[in-house]
Amino acid sequence: MATRRLTRQQQLQQTILYPVDWLEERSGLVGGVKYFLFRKVPGDTNWFQTLGAATLTAFLVQALTGVILAMYYKPDPQNAYSSIQNITNHVWAGWLVRGMHRWGASVFIILMFMHMGRVFLYGAYKYPRELNWIIGVLLLASGLAEGFTGYLLPWDQTAYWATIVGININGTAPFLGPFLAQFLQGGTYINGDTLSRFYSIHMLLIPGAIFALIGLHLYLVVRLGVTSPPWSKEAAGTGPLADPSSNGAGTRSGLVNPRQRKGR
Amino acid sequence: MASDRIVERRRIFQQYKADVKERGKPFYPYAMFEDTVMSLVVVCVIVGLAIVWRYTTPGDHHTTDAGWLGKLYDKPADPGTINFVPRPDWYFYFLFYLLRIFKWPNSVLLGTIGIPTICLVLLIAIPFLDVRFERRLLRRPVAMVAAGLVVISMGVLTYKGATAKEALGSELLADVPHWAASEHFSNNATAIAGAKLFAVSGCLNCHTYNGAGGHNLGAPELTAEGAKNKGVAFQIAHLKCPSCVNSGSPMPSFAGLGQANLTKLATFLEASKGGK
Repeated sequence: MATRRLTRQQQLQQTILYPVDWLEERSGLVGGVKYFLFRKVPGDTNWFQTLGAATLTAFLVQALTGVILAMYYKPDPQNAYSSIQNITNHVWAGWLVRGMHRWGASVFIILMFMHMGRVFLYGAYKYPRELNWIIGVLLLASGLAEGFTGYLLPWDQTAYWATIVGININGTAPFLGPFLAQFLQGGTYINGDTLSRFYSIHMLLIPGAIFALIGLHLYLVVRLGVTSPPWSKEAAGTGPLADPSSNGAGTRSGLVNPRQRKGR
Repeated sequence: MASDRIVERRRIFQQYKADVKERGKPFYPYAMFEDTVMSLVVVCVIVGLAIVWRYTTPGDHHTTDAGWLGKLYDKPADPGTINFVPRPDWYFYFLFYLLRIFKWPNSVLLGTIGIPTICLVLLIAIPFLDVRFERRLLRRPVAMVAAGLVVISMGVLTYKGATAKEALGSELLADVPHWAASEHFSNNATAIAGAKLFAVSGCLNCHTYNGAGGHNLGAPELTAEGAKNKGVAFQIAHLKCPSCVNSGSPMPSFAGLGQANLTKLATFLEASKGGK
């Protein structure tokens, strides 16, 4: 009886694991996910180091709500404003999706700046993570460009006139400025083509770039590892600890006296 | 010397990897738990903002009244009636305020393109400017002072941008009789109609006239525009397409106002001789 149940359990396990094994054998993805989840990070990482994940979450919220908004939004001057009204007042939970997209943008941008500030204060941009800092700056610029192009889409007075000023600022740039302004506007002044251009840039070009850059950003984080807080007594990179008994479980050092550490 | 530094930093990184391997914690579940909690907080904050935005908006949500977080939407875009103060989203206020510091035409490039470009290049260059191994805050005084200055200046510029007051069309309309008196066009009905259009069409967001105006892009002073005697036809052509007449001009087209209104505006501009 007992042995039969065990066999059944084994059979069940095999059945469940079969698709996983099938996928692993053909792609190595399972091993990749395992590596990502069970890779070691320094024991003294803290809550400030969750800002990157928080920024990623805010971006995913933007992507998801953006996809839903795109199902109802109409990017032409005759219908854009009324489609925004429709989303806000008539589509089920449309106000929530639009509100999340509108305010998620601000949260995303604040989190990008906070994440950048954390990396700066930790000195985490230093060798060998210079490239990841640069990718981060490009992500910041792309995020701001999303903010600029998305602002026009409701096609209300605020959107329209702020975008005119924005395009004119682009137009003052030397050499490329006038071409850039003309390209953004799709003509010599703001019109219906401007709206569809901004829409295309806002939902295809820049988000694609952001997804690709985030992929690279995460790849480098996994490859190069996460830095310890610079003030940590047991920061990774300082070598074996002077007193092994101080490496107790769950210790998290706050601001400690830096004299106790060798310079690094 | 330089190669010593390269050897040393490679050694430190190898040490880092050995230390993490020896006494690090696995990402799952420890760090991932904190990441997950933080992500949930972010989603809750975003949903909370959306709820506050909608439910503090007065009326039946079909109005353009503002709640705690501002309007759900403004009035529809209308290129014809330009009585509107352009406002970017709050995270561009610092850029917006730079435009007020630097005046058209000489230094506007510095404000709009120059300073942001320099900041972006410096930001990208940080890892190459600061190549020391030191990461502790108190041992990096230059970096800390620079970070403090950046935070303070961004904060001040954002605050100034948020509280900057532009001239509003309705207030400017009250100035039209004073303009007519000091510029001596009180008996010219077309010019007065043009002056009213000028007051409400947003011209004074960028231009200045008889002490009024917002300097938004530091555009030219127009008090004595008529003294140049360029003619009504020129003024109309310029209003229709500023960059066609004046290459590189960032002024938007006002062709949407229509020929009749443009004639009034042009007459007003030509009548403005600076009070002589």
